[in-house]
Amino acid sequence: MSGQKSGLPGKTGETLKSWLIMLPGLILMTFFVWEPLFESIRMSLYKTRNVELVRWIGLDNFISVIGKDDFVQALTNTFSYTVWSLLLGFALPVLLAMLIGETRRGKGFFRTAVYLPNMLPGLAVIILWSAFFSGKESGVLNILLGHLGVPAQSYLTRSEWVVPIIILIATWKGAGATALIYMAGMASVSPELYEAAAIDGATVWHRIIHILLPSIKKLAGTLLILQIISVFQIMYEPMVLTKGGPDNASLSLMQLMWQYAFGGSMNYGKASAVAVIVTLILLGMTAVYSYFNRKESDWD
Amino acid sequence: MKNAQRTGVIRDYDMHSLSVRIGYGVILFFCGLMVILAVFPLLWVVLAGFKDLKEFVSSTSIVPQYFSPQPFATTWSQLGIAKNYLNSLIFVVGSVICALIFNGLLGYGLGILKPKGHKAVKRLVLLSLLMPTTISIVPLFMNIQNLGLGNSFVPLWLSYGANAMYVILFVQFFESLPRSIVEASRIDGCSQLQTFFHIVLPLSKPICAVIAIFAVNAAWSDFLLPYLVLRGGNLQTVMVRLFVFSTEQTVNEDTMMRSVVFSMIPPIILFFIFQKQLTENAVSVGIKG
Repeated sequence: MSGQKSGLPGKTGETLKSWLIMLPGLILMTFFVWEPLFESIRMSLYKTRNVELVRWIGLDNFISVIGKDDFVQALTNTFSYTVWSLLLGFALPVLLAMLIGETRRGKGFFRTAVYLPNMLPGLAVIILWSAFFSGKESGVLNILLGHLGVPAQSYLTRSEWVVPIIILIATWKGAGATALIYMAGMASVSPELYEAAAIDGATVWHRIIHILLPSIKKLAGTLLILQIISVFQIMYEPMVLTKGGPDNASLSLMQLMWQYAFGGSMNYGKASAVAVIVTLILLGMTAVYSYFNRKESDWD
Repeated sequence: MKNAQRTGVIRDYDMHSLSVRIGYGVILFFCGLMVILAVFPLLWVVLAGFKDLKEFVSSTSIVPQYFSPQPFATTWSQLGIAKNYLNSLIFVVGSVICALIFNGLLGYGLGILKPKGHKAVKRLVLLSLLMPTTISIVPLFMNIQNLGLGNSFVPLWLSYGANAMYVILFVQFFESLPRSIVEASRIDGCSQLQTFFHIVLPLSKPICAVIAIFAVNAAWSDFLLPYLVLRGGNLQTVMVRLFVFSTEQTVNEDTMMRSVVFSMIPPIILFFIFQKQLTENAVSVGIKG
């Protein structure tokens, strides 16, 4: 095919025009995603004043950031978020998907209902739940537990409870959407397979263990690592709900980054150092993910 | 035959067994519980909105004393939420347009035109999927400041034109289109851009609808970058306003709950109109985690 309509001959003209069509998108991706990632690395190596890079200081930002108590605390908390999220939020969507998948009537209704919280603005959800867990007598949980005779208590000021509570809220918002993904995975099993197994005498329980669960094994692996990566970036939830408190017990790494940059001190260099550390940890996790995912990828 | 089509582990003849029937009852019970858990907090926040401050902080009843729309009307006019709604609307519309055009064109290049070297870009896009944009929000904000784009919708709109997830959704859809249609259009003398707007786009209404719905919701809920760019100005969106309330604690708790209700109304309306598209496509969009 020759490019009669272009001034350039044939294939080269086509290629050039194709790249021109992609150019606006590429510029935006560069400006909003790729360049800032590299800029983070550069900024983390500079002493900054407001938006200016003052001078190159090597790894000083990193040393100063890591040396502080709040960094150690934030790192520990972030891992604690991850562990709690796996405990509370990993198996639940599988269970929800199994339950909804077995309903013989109203499946669409159940699907819709569990997906609803996922549509709500994350910020509004956090504020809503903050009133729920309020330590006042008028806090919803206190009202509800009050009917059972449990005295009113403060939930968000207990350092051992804040992390699980924040994960609980995140799970409330996200579990339904994840359940729909599992449901799609489970739907790939042909009903005839269950029929055949049943004829061979397999009980419902056997069918779950030997057919249903193996069918989502791979999907569960992918979702597991995606969940870890996503929880690792938790930021606005503790920022809004507890401001990282009590005593930094819910402070996350990303929140620490935000505090350095926008919490008054405008220390963009140190904020970038935290961002680079988080990026490195995420890259490590991503490498693990792609290692396990490499066979099924059709992106080559 | 009907039984074979029905999905699920429990088959029709299992229902003859008592233990399975009890088990099925338990399943229905938990599904009902799940619905209550999903909906109750929403119901509560609306009920709480009817309470005034005194009742909100002191009452130990979930149901308000009076059901008068007055508190909502007062909050709406006192805080001037109408202005924030308008700002949110402008932000959302611009974001959706950018999301469709820029990601769509990039997806067209990567999924249909496939010029020499496109694979490297495709990998880069895929990789960015796993890197959150929040992580580089500091340098991004600095770049926006340096370009003098602070307190403007432009950088926020354009940020929706750089969404790796939407690009990949477009690519996947475009690759599923029959090549012959695109080739026929090229032979008929349409340029690449004409082919996109006259042939590819009209065929891509389903994916455009899905991306538009998700972009509307994402833009409406967005507040971190919008807060940094719009704070202090008069272009604040509903979510930016809510974020300012929550960090500066400038409003009372009852007003806060009504603001939460206001911020949830558009997504809930969107949800009820497009629930089918949303729940069916949650899989492809949600897999990003």
